[in-house]
Amino acid sequence: MTELLVKNAHVIDPLSGINGETMDIAIRDGKIVEEVSAAAEVIDARGMLTMPGGIDSHTHICGTKVNFGRYMSPEDMRAGRTPRRGPMHATSGYSVPTTYGNSYRYSVMGYTTLLEGAMAPLEARHTHEEFTYTPLQDTMANTLFDGNWSIMEAIRDGDVKRVAAIIAWTLSAVKGFGVKLTNPGGTEAWQWGKNVSCIRDPVPYFGVTPAEIIRSVIEANELLHLPHSVHLHCNNLGTPGNYTCTLGSLGLAPDLNPRRQTLYATHVQFHAYGGSGWKDFSSKSEPIANLVNMRPQVVIDMGQILFGRTTTMTADGPMEFNLYRLHHEKWSNHDVELETGSGIIPVIYRRKNLVNSVMWAIGLELALLTKSPWQCLLTTDNPNGAPFVRYPEIIGLLMSRRYRDAEFATIHPDTGSRVPLPAIDREMDWYEIAVMTRAGQARALGIQDLGKGHLAPGADADVAIYPIRIDEVDPSADYQKVIDGFSRTEYTIKRGRVVARRGECVVHGSNSTLWVRPKVSENYDMGKDPEFVEKFDRYYTVRMSNYPVQEQYLNRSRCIETETEL
Amino acid sequence: MMRVNLTLKPMGSWSIPIEAESIIPANFLSGTDLTVWRGNRELGLEEAFSVSVVGGADRAEDVEIVLAGKTARLKRVGEYMDAGKITVLGDIGMHCGNFMTGGTIEIQGNADGWLGREMGGGSIICRGNAADYCASGYRGGRKGMTGGRVEVYGRVGDFLAENLAGGTVIVHGDAGDMPGAEMRGGTLIIHGDCTRPAANMKDGACYVYGTARWMLPTFRNLGTVRHEGRTLIQFTGDVANRGKGNLFVGNYEYLD
Amino acid sequence: MNVKDAVCPFCGCLCDDIEVEIEGDRVVGVTNACELGATKFLGGERLKSPIRREGKAWKEISYDEAIRYAADMLLDAERPLLYGWSGTHGEAQCVGVHMAELVRGVIDNTSSVCHGPSVLAIQEVGHPGCTLGVVKNRADLLIYWGSNPIDAHPRHLSRYTCYAEGFFLENAFRDRKVVVVDVRKTQTANIADEFVRVRPGGDYAILSALRAIVRGKTDTIPRMVAGVTRDQLVRVADLCLNAKFGAVYFGLGLTMIPGKYKNIRNAIELVTELNRHTKFTISAMRGHYNVYGSNEVNTWMTGYPFAIDFSRGIAFYNPGETTAVDVLARKECDAALIVGSDPAAHFPRRCIEHLAEIPVVQLDPYPNATTAFCKVQIPVAVTGVDAEGTAYRMDGVPIRTRKVLSSDYLSDEEVLSRMYALMQEALKR
Repeated sequence: MTELLVKNAHVIDPLSGINGETMDIAIRDGKIVEEVSAAAEVIDARGMLTMPGGIDSHTHICGTKVNFGRYMSPEDMRAGRTPRRGPMHATSGYSVPTTYGNSYRYSVMGYTTLLEGAMAPLEARHTHEEFTYTPLQDTMANTLFDGNWSIMEAIRDGDVKRVAAIIAWTLSAVKGFGVKLTNPGGTEAWQWGKNVSCIRDPVPYFGVTPAEIIRSVIEANELLHLPHSVHLHCNNLGTPGNYTCTLGSLGLAPDLNPRRQTLYATHVQFHAYGGSGWKDFSSKSEPIANLVNMRPQVVIDMGQILFGRTTTMTADGPMEFNLYRLHHEKWSNHDVELETGSGIIPVIYRRKNLVNSVMWAIGLELALLTKSPWQCLLTTDNPNGAPFVRYPEIIGLLMSRRYRDAEFATIHPDTGSRVPLPAIDREMDWYEIAVMTRAGQARALGIQDLGKGHLAPGADADVAIYPIRIDEVDPSADYQKVIDGFSRTEYTIKRGRVVARRGECVVHGSNSTLWVRPKVSENYDMGKDPEFVEKFDRYYTVRMSNYPVQEQYLNRSRCIETETEL
Repeated sequence: MMRVNLTLKPMGSWSIPIEAESIIPANFLSGTDLTVWRGNRELGLEEAFSVSVVGGADRAEDVEIVLAGKTARLKRVGEYMDAGKITVLGDIGMHCGNFMTGGTIEIQGNADGWLGREMGGGSIICRGNAADYCASGYRGGRKGMTGGRVEVYGRVGDFLAENLAGGTVIVHGDAGDMPGAEMRGGTLIIHGDCTRPAANMKDGACYVYGTARWMLPTFRNLGTVRHEGRTLIQFTGDVANRGKGNLFVGNYEYLD
Repeated sequence: MNVKDAVCPFCGCLCDDIEVEIEGDRVVGVTNACELGATKFLGGERLKSPIRREGKAWKEISYDEAIRYAADMLLDAERPLLYGWSGTHGEAQCVGVHMAELVRGVIDNTSSVCHGPSVLAIQEVGHPGCTLGVVKNRADLLIYWGSNPIDAHPRHLSRYTCYAEGFFLENAFRDRKVVVVDVRKTQTANIADEFVRVRPGGDYAILSALRAIVRGKTDTIPRMVAGVTRDQLVRVADLCLNAKFGAVYFGLGLTMIPGKYKNIRNAIELVTELNRHTKFTISAMRGHYNVYGSNEVNTWMTGYPFAIDFSRGIAFYNPGETTAVDVLARKECDAALIVGSDPAAHFPRRCIEHLAEIPVVQLDPYPNATTAFCKVQIPVAVTGVDAEGTAYRMDGVPIRTRKVLSSDYLSDEEVLSRMYALMQEALKR
């Protein structure tokens, strides 16, 4: 039995309804408990901002695409190298760090749970292998279904239960957590070098539209009672005028689940563009935020960009090729048979570039114009908008109008006429930031009942203690203190152990992987469906028996079984 | 003026190279308490070198380092150097003058690979030959050398001035295969012969006073021009890469 | 007993439809595999126990003794080389990286003598690729460039490309066109619709010319380029532009020629250019069954796919300097651990001469050319036969190799983990 007592912490824990109370947190054997014995080790957190461990609900840290970003970028690798030191292994990389680099840097910022945003089922084993080397966070993977042949065929046949059955079989096989649609239909079209323009454009050969895919998969997701909703990367990312497509996509979501949203739309900054081309490119954050404000069934994340160098990577292959043609930098693409694809290019976002300046404003506007922080979560779509190590800057920008104005003065001078940002006064408070970086994520991912994102007794003892005295710091003026404080915890506690202290990781760690196994009846077991099996054998290049990810790939397996309507 | 004499001690049968990025003029302003690395072992400067310092200086510009001994395997000398002078009496190992922004390095013998990699300023003179990747960039990077001047009196190896983006590179002897590959700026002058110059070039100027063998088929011949008393044939390209660079050659042969 | 869907641990095709017949502790029959794969499954006479050189003779020693020797050797070295890795499973490769990091050595895999140039090219311009099944189901044009799959990857054509059933092709065999580019008429060239015979060293020029032609700049191109007529190049460019889905597979005939990675870069840039017009992909024909896995493991753990030098603590990567052949030829290492490869059979003479001068330990089931240079050799189980673990196919698809029979041999991972534990203990003291 190991016990730990965090004394005198200044706690913000939105899911428990706690907003700035000074209290003790008792921990036994990795869980939060009511109280511990006098023998417990004590941490004095007097005056320090203490919150549940951070959760990133959309980041790219592990798997084929991420590793290819590393593989092709030795110039990025040399930008952030550290030697082996104590329990810490060597790290390399800035925008796409090594797995240890990701894990240590997230931990130092107080993050304890990460969701990899895009895992191709065929290559799932790779993602899980990398999870094992991401030791200081619990991990889960969104599984890609955007170009899944069997699903598109089932949709064409109008059989939503079959869609659900295919998702159930695949999630169980690949140890996936949530359902991800990246440019639905577009990734299949891209395997012919084509794309879909928006949600009404049929996918070549399969004939279904992105709208049908989105609607059917949402329905299937709810039939399976999955913890998370469908996680959507809308069609048409990054193109001027795409906001109408985004509004159309978000409008497809019915309100089906009382406990959480029915649709999670990711990195919406990249989908909130006005204009008919780059010349009249403008922000359309307002109509998007207005729609979100009226629809509790929708949650979005920011996809904020920050100026500087990074690497873009997404399952959205055609988008990356278009981006390549703009930047003429190196371009990688990786299509995955019968399932999905991905693309990668390095980019530099520049202050002096008007388009980049407008993009920077849009992300902030989405957060500031969405009334409920539960509906707009803080992300950069790491590393697409910026590497996650820069999250504290975003917190600073959201909390301080003065900081925004100072930054605004350095960007392209024409930005003001194209974005609403200068007129927005809102400054977020500590509680709202706590929602946007952990509590909101836990609710949106449906993992609060698994003990994530809060500090109530029974919860996982994942705690972030920041060296910030919130009664003394005025975030509006002292934004640099806010940035510094969120960059480096005093203590990060994971599963009841101190794992990081003032910028150093102090244990090797050991992650858990959360995955979902929907329980379906015999009739809906696709592993026994003759048509499914036959197609698999004929068109995949891996045998069906070699496809599922064995449980030994999961360092600590946390299987979530769901009761379904199949 | 300060003159620092460093003589590499005989290493016996050791063939593990020594990495000595600490050897730049600025570092000697505050003494000689520096370290170098042999493989994974850190050595005090005086364990590896006989050190003598003559005179004194307040600024790096007034420091000259003279390197003697069997320095052919001594790596990274002059890395990030910004002022002063380094004279190498014999040969020098890999990565001499990498990232240098100012000052002068003079090598009286030969230089090993990556001489002046990603150099931004200053000048390097090599009296002997230079190996592969002289005045080049780093793996995966878009820009190689961006400024300064590298002059080699002997021959150079392959991939000379790869990704050249600025500055001047002059080779008095022959160059190997693919000098000026991917160049996007700057000036490359080869007095002798080479093969496949300026492959995939985007911009900049490449001169080959001798013969360009295995001349690439994707450069457009613009006719002859006079250049510093020579008649050269001017090409533009690389057409394969939407390039607008200029390639001037004394003579050329296709691999047909 | 028969094992179905076994995974072949021979080449980068990583065929996973092999049926293996077992009698007792022996493989007696192999179905579906090519001859190369079947030979690997059937195996040969293995070393019975670890051996240590004593003068001119070998002495059998215990695993403990052998592992201790290797650990001490690595700890004592100023710049140890940990080389090979392509012939073992990913789990063992991971331990190898931790070891290299701990002792501050150089870790490199066989890429340095096969597709290292392909990696360098990808690092310059990226890589438009796909999994093999995308090609199988869609490609109507295949280009084998400097590669001869009929010899080196015998089932590539039948399982993944020309002869494989494809969802979008009515008759795969008839509907797919094949172009072969090589300096000699290989067996694969015999099945080509168009065979482009290049003068040795001329591939780069051909690739540049094709790029220019695809861009509509045919008039710049001379009538003859490296032994190929401009007319034929125009014909090949048309085939590419008219394809719905084209796939290029290249081999050592493009990487190990003058210009090395620049050839691959040029081929990738041709494919990227073609993507402005139609769908095209390009991939390397990787040799060892798990060389790609070694690149993957190295990348997520160190940031670089091969040739990583930890001697200064941080990872430093510079192929041409930190690659095993260069380290050995320049005598820049003072001990070597060899796992899952046989460098003495492939490396230049100068490298082998240095291997003879330094302590060398090898993990390998069989006596091989490198054995002659070892102080100690430790026999291990064969991944895919009596050990299991992860391998990455040439297209990046990870597959778990199966253990089809049991033996008393330890796996590479087990031996290396024990070695690593000893090293960690020693450094704590």
